Amino acid sequence: MREFIVKNYIYILLAVVLVCCVIGITIVYADSPADIPPPKQKYNEETVCVEPVEVMRKKHFDFVLDHRDKTVIDGIRTKKHSLIECIDCHITASAEGEYARYSQETHFCASCHQYAAVTIDCFQCHADRPEEAIRKKMNPNQTVGRTQEQKINSYLHLSSVKHH
Amino acid sequence: MRYKLDIDTNIDNVLNESSADIVYEVEQDIDHSKRNFLKGAATVGGLSIAPGVMLYQTASAKPNEQAVSNQQRWGMLIDTNLCQEDCDACVTACNEENGLWDLGRPTTDAQWIRKLNIKDKQTGHVTSLPMMCQHCEHPPCVDVCPTGASFKRADGIVLVNAHTCIGCRYCMMACPYKARSFIHEPLVDQLPHAPRGKGCVESCTLCVHKVDRGDNNTACAEACNKDGHKALLFGDLNDPNSDISKQLEKHGGVQIRADLNLNTGVRYQGL
Repeated sequence: MREFIVKNYIYILLAVVLVCCVIGITIVYADSPADIPPPKQKYNEETVCVEPVEVMRKKHFDFVLDHRDKTVIDGIRTKKHSLIECIDCHITASAEGEYARYSQETHFCASCHQYAAVTIDCFQCHADRPEEAIRKKMNPNQTVGRTQEQKINSYLHLSSVKHH
Repeated sequence: MRYKLDIDTNIDNVLNESSADIVYEVEQDIDHSKRNFLKGAATVGGLSIAPGVMLYQTASAKPNEQAVSNQQRWGMLIDTNLCQEDCDACVTACNEENGLWDLGRPTTDAQWIRKLNIKDKQTGHVTSLPMMCQHCEHPPCVDVCPTGASFKRADGIVLVNAHTCIGCRYCMMACPYKARSFIHEPLVDQLPHAPRGKGCVESCTLCVHKVDRGDNNTACAEACNKDGHKALLFGDLNDPNSDISKQLEKHGGVQIRADLNLNTGVRYQGL
């Protein structure tokens, strides 16, 4: 046995390295966000988003923070750095027609925030999905599919509980 | 043509007297003539369009990138004689527009507009009216706010900046109209144009998102018009040609608790 190991140590080493690689790749890919629906459109061909992607990755919060005060206090409603527009473009329906919530890892914002362990408060107040997704949930006449219906029923049950 | 002649005579003067002051005068004259020409052109352009169309355009067209200004002061006129006792279309429309989903707890659920029925004990006459934030010129809620979250926008709309609101509720105590609500519990499914969340005070925004969009109306007034009651009239109090200003000039309108000298943007008729 000892002889075998000494003789073939190079093959055994290779096998061990190979196994480690496979395990490592599996772990990395299992952690990466699964199936984030693509954004609605490109802002333009050159920068893709409203600013170049590298800039957006680092500074998107500065942009929305600056825009927030302009909008709330001065009523400036330009669309370029508006959170509503971010959500409208980036949060799209999955193949099943479902819009991800911020609590799910397939939500565009959450996919990175969860990975980077960032905690934000934006979506405690702001809509994490486009208006059509929210209205669709609220209005039973517009919904399709059973799971959606169940959700509405549970919502209606919540509202019908009155305190006397 | 006349202006050209004027300039010519002035240039003659310049040549005769060769004084710097007069040269300046000539330049002023040119400016003046230009201005008059522009004024004339504007009048001709204005006349060629129907007056109603012109008014609508001037009232609603605020470009998105332009900040609001005190050129406007948004307000509302409520005719209590037209307001129906058993109707709450304005309340429903407000809830629908701003996503004020009922949580089934009437004592604490948010309420931006509510209906009041006031009975005169002597005559038995019942007056019905909607009550909401009165968008005061001197709002007590703004006076007492410790963080500056409660503020009045340049165009007279009183708002809560939820980013700086700490939920102390001083403003709710200070408001003589009980117009504000506090959000007691976590919310979901807020609408994009009306963000709202736990721990903040909120109230009627005079449909600020609609105003900025140029709709020139609020959800409650639209609903009231749709039902044919036409008790609510939204408009610009600073524009003497707006319907609301004309109505106020013709028939007047009172403030509730006028004794507080708050100069409310919401006025009532028939009280």
